[in-house]
Amino acid sequence: MAGYTEERFNLRGIETVVQIAGEGDPLVFFHGAGTVTGFDALLPLAERFRLIVPFHPGFGPSADDTTVDDIHDYRRHYLDLLDELGIEDFALTGHSMGGWLAANFAADHAERVRRLVLAAPWGMRVEEHPTVDFFAVPGEELPGYLTADMSIFGPHVPMPPTPEFLADRYRETTSAARLMWARPYDLKLHRWLHRLTMPTLIIWGEADTLIPAEQAPVWADLVPGAEVRTLPGVGHLMFDESREAVDAVGSFVGEGLTV
Amino acid sequence: MNVFDDIQFYLFNHHHYIDEPPDSDRYDSTWVSYPNGNFDAEVAHELYQRWTREMLLAEELGFDAIAINEHHQTIYSMQPATSVRAGYLAALTKRVKILVAGVPINLSWPSRVAEEYAMLDVMSGGRMEYGFPLGTGMEYWSNAGQINPTTARARFRENLGVILKTWTEDGPVRHDGEFYNYRYLNVWPRPLQKPYPKIYIVGSGSQETVDVATDFRAGYSIVFTPIEQQLKAMANFREAAEGKGWTVQPDDTIFTVICYVADTDDEAVREARPHIEKFFSWMHRVPNQFLSPPGYVSRSEFLRRAQSAALSDGTRATWDDMVSIGRIICGSPDTVADTLSHWAEEAQCSRMLMVLQHGDMPEWKAVKNMHMFAKEVIPRVRARATSGAAATALAGVK
Repeated sequence: MAGYTEERFNLRGIETVVQIAGEGDPLVFFHGAGTVTGFDALLPLAERFRLIVPFHPGFGPSADDTTVDDIHDYRRHYLDLLDELGIEDFALTGHSMGGWLAANFAADHAERVRRLVLAAPWGMRVEEHPTVDFFAVPGEELPGYLTADMSIFGPHVPMPPTPEFLADRYRETTSAARLMWARPYDLKLHRWLHRLTMPTLIIWGEADTLIPAEQAPVWADLVPGAEVRTLPGVGHLMFDESREAVDAVGSFVGEGLTV
Repeated sequence: MNVFDDIQFYLFNHHHYIDEPPDSDRYDSTWVSYPNGNFDAEVAHELYQRWTREMLLAEELGFDAIAINEHHQTIYSMQPATSVRAGYLAALTKRVKILVAGVPINLSWPSRVAEEYAMLDVMSGGRMEYGFPLGTGMEYWSNAGQINPTTARARFRENLGVILKTWTEDGPVRHDGEFYNYRYLNVWPRPLQKPYPKIYIVGSGSQETVDVATDFRAGYSIVFTPIEQQLKAMANFREAAEGKGWTVQPDDTIFTVICYVADTDDEAVREARPHIEKFFSWMHRVPNQFLSPPGYVSRSEFLRRAQSAALSDGTRATWDDMVSIGRIICGSPDTVADTLSHWAEEAQCSRMLMVLQHGDMPEWKAVKNMHMFAKEVIPRVRARATSGAAATALAGVK
């Protein structure tokens, strides 16, 4: 399986790093609020699509920008990136915080998103099954919320964690806090999900203790015709934990695209 | 004129809540999340009375000022509304200055801060001084998510600007800011002292706070930073001020000193050490998560803190760690006077914020310490004056 090639774009002053692999119709992936495990788990998708994984501003090798502090700053930043890449319409997948971003992007640019996958998306306010406020989770306890399978951290996390490693995590949490500090949900999200008129898959790990899978039906009620798939025994970092999750994205996206 | 000619001693009291439960080991924090079911209002009432006695004793003993500050959701301090406390103390004192250091300006509307603290200055007859801190990381966990810590530094700058603007410019004026929009900025009352009471920026030595202090021509006060970094920061502050066209005076900087005086060095350490250790291990028990909320510090500052045991983990800090991060001096009157004089000269600083009550120290020790300090240490330090009020007073005695 081929790896990613890395491309760099200067988008209005923000040095933005994008990992790209494969050929075919474009499949853009918006990552969540941390990049510690990387995105190699998604590479099987590059066998069928042109897989495009940008690092958000303030994450991984992309530069910080303190003025990117709103979901619509992200959305417009990615309009700039799509212009650079010359991509008009595409399939979009977003995980966790990236799911929230993907839902917003797709609601505002429905004509450009051919198929949408929301993987354990952040942002829904569900009183009986609230999202864990991950800012309030002590660092040492966070891995337990992120996965049902600790072995996924093996190659990525030094033990004990070094100050450098912790500082990198602190930086990414800071970038997430610019958008998400005020509350662990988006008050307006439910109001606009009717605009997701493209075929949409909502996929969730049933063992997700960070954003409970019980939120999936709430999304499904709001997104017209959404399909729901849950994965038994799988936690929040579903793509690291489960090849089935990766394949589910591939087959859902592939149904509607020429390969 | 030397640094001793106008040296002044401030008595600082944390207003701790002292009532450690027998199972205190099970709590990893005494800030933010420490269960308030452990709060006993009767105990707190007695403590407020005690802290009042100690503050009033300071005026009686000849301290130049008393000093208090603000923290939230913690046993460390019972002053979530420090202006309330300052008003109470202003009414009970006549002579001493009252330093509120600090007023975490990010936690309120800047106009509200400007009003409250102008009001205090007017009521007290112009005896107020103010220290403005960014607010510890912990304060940002105690405010309903409304003040995003990633904006702390930018907000601090804007708030400070608003406060000074409304204290100095005749209103109403308009303010179009990043965080605040005032159509009619026009506070009432305005301070009695002109142009406004002495102010200090409270920092831990970071370049950001030095920049703010020098940009606003404010004083600078350092807390909880290793001594060599304090000196470096002071030098940096001085140099930055020169670069911006003004010269730092001895009363523009404040040292915070943790101090205990007894007849001998051994006795001082023996009497004080368990309480100072309690201060760090219990009153200042704070997990990293609360110390550094996201964006409160830069990545590099986070790294620096992660590498210092005493800064990142008070519970596990050793006596040596504590001595290295604080200006801790326990000893005989000669030892303490010599050390303070050395620090004052070294940093050309004439304002000493003295912490004389430590952790769970019983009242008799704190009071004895205050008496020893006032009667044995202050005169020894003042004896180094060559001119000014201190020297004149001394000549009169001789």
